[in-house]
Amino acid sequence: MSEAPHRHAGSSALRAAETPVPEPAERKLRCAARGIEKSFGATKILRGVDLEIPEGTFAVLVGPSGCGKSTLLRLVAGLEQADKGTITLAGRDVTNLPPRDRDVAMVFQSYALYPHLTVRENLAFGLKLRGTPAAEIESRIREASAMLGLEKLMDRLPKQLSGGQRQRVAMGRAIVRRPTIFLFDEPLSNLDAALRAEVRVEIRRLHDRLGATTLYVTHDQVEAMTLADSLWVLNGGLVEQKGPPLEIYERPRTKFVATFLGSPQMNLVAGKLSKEGGAFWAEGGGVRTRVDEERFGDALVEGREVTIGVRPHDLCLAKGDAPIVAELKVEIVEALGSEAFAHGWIRSSGPTFVARLDAADARSVRPGSAIPLAAAPSAIHLFDAKTDRALGD
Amino acid sequence: MERSRAGRALHALLAVLAIVATILFAPACSEPPRGVVLWHPYRGGEEAALKKVVARFEAERGVKVTTLAVPYEAYLSKLEAAIPRGNGPDVFIGPHNRLGEYLLHKLVAPVGDALPDEDVPAYEPVTVDAVTHEGVRWAVPLASKCVALYWDTRLLSEPPRTLEELAAKKGALGAGVWPLAYESHSAYYHAALLHAYGGALFDGGFAMIGPAAERSLEKARELVTSGAAPDEASGDLLKTLFSTGKVAAVISGPWLAADLSDDLPYAVAPLPEIEGVGRMRPFLTVDGAFLSPDGAKREDARALARALGSSESARERAETGKQVVATRAYWARADGERPAADDRHAALLRAFRDASADAIPMPVSTAMNPVWVPAEQAIRKVLRGDATPKDALAEAKARYDDVMRPPPPSPSPAPLVIMIGLGLLAAAVAIVRRVRAPGFRRELEASKPAYKYVAHAAITIFVLVVLPLLAGAVTSFFAGTRDDPRFVGLANYVDILTARGKPLLSHGSFYLTLLVTVAWTVVNVTLHVAIGLALGVALARPMLRLRAVYRVLLILPWAVPSYVTALAWKGMFHRQFGAINALLATLGVEPISWFSKFSTAFTANVATNVWLGFPFMMVVVMGALTSIPKDVLEAAEVDGATRWQAFRLVTLPLLKPTLLPAVVLGSVWTFNMFNVVFLVSGGEPDGTTDILVSEAYRWAFARNSQFGYAAAYAVIIFGLLAIMSRVLGRVGGGEAKEAAS
Repeated sequence: MSEAPHRHAGSSALRAAETPVPEPAERKLRCAARGIEKSFGATKILRGVDLEIPEGTFAVLVGPSGCGKSTLLRLVAGLEQADKGTITLAGRDVTNLPPRDRDVAMVFQSYALYPHLTVRENLAFGLKLRGTPAAEIESRIREASAMLGLEKLMDRLPKQLSGGQRQRVAMGRAIVRRPTIFLFDEPLSNLDAALRAEVRVEIRRLHDRLGATTLYVTHDQVEAMTLADSLWVLNGGLVEQKGPPLEIYERPRTKFVATFLGSPQMNLVAGKLSKEGGAFWAEGGGVRTRVDEERFGDALVEGREVTIGVRPHDLCLAKGDAPIVAELKVEIVEALGSEAFAHGWIRSSGPTFVARLDAADARSVRPGSAIPLAAAPSAIHLFDAKTDRALGD
Repeated sequence: MERSRAGRALHALLAVLAIVATILFAPACSEPPRGVVLWHPYRGGEEAALKKVVARFEAERGVKVTTLAVPYEAYLSKLEAAIPRGNGPDVFIGPHNRLGEYLLHKLVAPVGDALPDEDVPAYEPVTVDAVTHEGVRWAVPLASKCVALYWDTRLLSEPPRTLEELAAKKGALGAGVWPLAYESHSAYYHAALLHAYGGALFDGGFAMIGPAAERSLEKARELVTSGAAPDEASGDLLKTLFSTGKVAAVISGPWLAADLSDDLPYAVAPLPEIEGVGRMRPFLTVDGAFLSPDGAKREDARALARALGSSESARERAETGKQVVATRAYWARADGERPAADDRHAALLRAFRDASADAIPMPVSTAMNPVWVPAEQAIRKVLRGDATPKDALAEAKARYDDVMRPPPPSPSPAPLVIMIGLGLLAAAVAIVRRVRAPGFRRELEASKPAYKYVAHAAITIFVLVVLPLLAGAVTSFFAGTRDDPRFVGLANYVDILTARGKPLLSHGSFYLTLLVTVAWTVVNVTLHVAIGLALGVALARPMLRLRAVYRVLLILPWAVPSYVTALAWKGMFHRQFGAINALLATLGVEPISWFSKFSTAFTANVATNVWLGFPFMMVVVMGALTSIPKDVLEAAEVDGATRWQAFRLVTLPLLKPTLLPAVVLGSVWTFNMFNVVFLVSGGEPDGTTDILVSEAYRWAFARNSQFGYAAAYAVIIFGLLAIMSRVLGRVGGGEAKEAAS
């Protein structure tokens, strides 16, 4: 979980090597949802959501449970009907069409394989229903099974497969359909951690190979960061922020997005802006740091109440004459080998605080000791104390 | 250690045996009660009168009398169980026509000085005749029962003299009012007509044959076809019709009076004459005080029996108990007294007494019992117009003779012994091979403690299931009646499987009945599954409003005892008064006589059984549906399936593993669904809708107690069901196991 940005960098390098992806804005929209509202009984799940997925894009909906991301996916699939708003797929208004007329394929969290059918029959099911000629079915199945390494499993029943194999069959069932859009509903959450990382890469690879358009729902920020071309962070039935994942990671527009993405979470303390010697400082809860005037610009007003945010990864042990941002009373040190996390607090009444340390630095840190921390001003995030929106946006 | 454990086990076993022995033999060992024990089937006024009579006897003689009221339905079996063990009554009151059975089971002794020669003139001669069998008097006659004519004094000014005069009133009585009603399908009631023509039901064999019997049937049919009397009238229906003024006269016994309101203006008269033939003469049954073999030896018991018949007690029984007493003195005195004008009960009793003068005592032989069923089948056939009286009666006679055929000769038991021997040998070989198998000893040793835990269940199952099964199987090697069983080897099976020498698909043959049973099972189970599936799926829809209400309503048919439902449906299928024909009438359909044709009778049975059976399948389907993951159905939807395709290609195959055992179970239940067949169509018409199990029942209980023959039927049914379950289980079992994930 902790290696999100690194993995992201790795997988985007991999992507670039396989197919050059043009910028989303230049491409045609494959899926669009406008002003979607949906309630279940008295509970409002979606409160006016817009969604745009250009052709060939891997779009990821991410958010905490109950944010409406799965509902939005099911609305696109046609498994639910929107109360308000329209959905178009490949330019066709499908708002009132049943799933079978939408030409979508979906991979379910539980895989939802037909338990009474063999792998081959599972793959052929949708094609047969659409009256695809037998030869065509055969060739598509062969292609998909080769792609997914399912050849040896074709005559098995789902219960004779492992979790990972079932997952691949579920993807195969989607692939053979060659749909307008692939829909994934938390497809990795039933797999163990090691397998999850493996399949994650495979999904992205397949997407690129097929030139598919994908809408993927997850609550796992690692999946969200590593897979997405465009990331949609949902919260409370609204899109909180959308954009390329790194951009969102680096410039979260709200306190919610800032804390939701990144692990361990961004450290937050309440503070105030002050001006000293022509430079703006943010100060509070034992933290005192310069801020990036260029980034925040006019939003910097002396005396403004703010929330100061700094990611654990942007902190380090203050060495030499680097300005000390805060002094951490260490409670626990989590040593991961390549790096370490020091958990503790700045002030005993304040929130817990986490800092990433280099493995070498961490060796000398003992629980109970106090360590000085430094951070670059550019790594400091500021949010309005009242609206929780990022300053400067 | 081992020894003490074994010792404890032995003690436990002995304790269990002791308890069982106590339960089994306690009544036999208990002290014989002092005084005299009297059993009777009376209720209400009759019981009150008896108590008074007994109290007087006790006071006069200083003897304690213990009276016990035993329900009539259980009377004979209780007597049979108690008297041979020595804890039965000394004196018991019962109908004289059961004498054949009493004699057969040695339940009675001659009354001796309880009815000495000097007492005989004190009784109505016909009643003494009734209790006399082969020159010996077996009971003190107490009261007689026969049917008479109840007539509505609003509709008729005087009792009709002849049947024709009554029948001619049709039309003059007003719309929808019948001149006469009687249980025309019952041989007991028909006997009055039969006797008028000089015929008889029984003369040591089946006697309802010949011109007199034919003419009596023609007369009965004429009554029905001319509209003078309703067809298919049951006792309850008669009561309703008469109470509501829909019929001018009904033929019934004293029991009807108890059910009629006191406000109803009616009177009772002896049965009318048949023009140019003679008076209708009903059967007479006489309640007598019988002595058990033990009781006959006791002076007190004989004195009680004599006292029960005396003229003092007769007065009590007549006035409190409303009995038509057998004592002439009572009637002589009553004739002398001026009857009070409003003493309706006195008039009623007098009318029944007058009716009894012409009545014919019911024969007492046990060979009489198998007469009723073929006689009634012939009556129904003629009334329906399915056969001429001559043909119907010839067929009835043939059936009687078939039932009464002598048991096959006792063969050498060698083939059976050899078969059983081979079977045991095979079992022994199997056991030895099993024991020799490597690891068997170790397994046995390891599972030893487990036997202790299952022992009680195994013993219970052995006693309650295996033993009766074996007893039934053994019975099937015997023929003859219960009291005279003879070993016949496999002759019963041979008889059944060769249709007793008649064509294999002839009426009542095993194969024809098997065909009907298979058709019955297939049609029912198919409908059960189809309806259960449809409703189960409909009720599983989460959006359905009032779902819980529907669910409860639809499960209700299951919650009602099946015989109650069966009787209700039988009533609904009544030709003239049933709800179904009434419903069809509103659609302009002619009333259907449901039980007069195989197709309609079968349909009626199926309708009833489907009503009873679909809730089970529905509940199974509802349960199974909840186990189908919702997202699999959604996956099918996304894959392009229509609702129907999703149901057929996904839901149905996934229901299969659950449905199959239910289908097997349902098939076994339906195959043996005795209640519905017996109560709704009762095999009508003419036994064609009987299934194997109801046919087996008839051989055991309606056809001269041929238990061996019935047991052979039961063993064959058991075999068929065992094979069927096995095959069905195998057909679906493999797939089911595969598909369950």
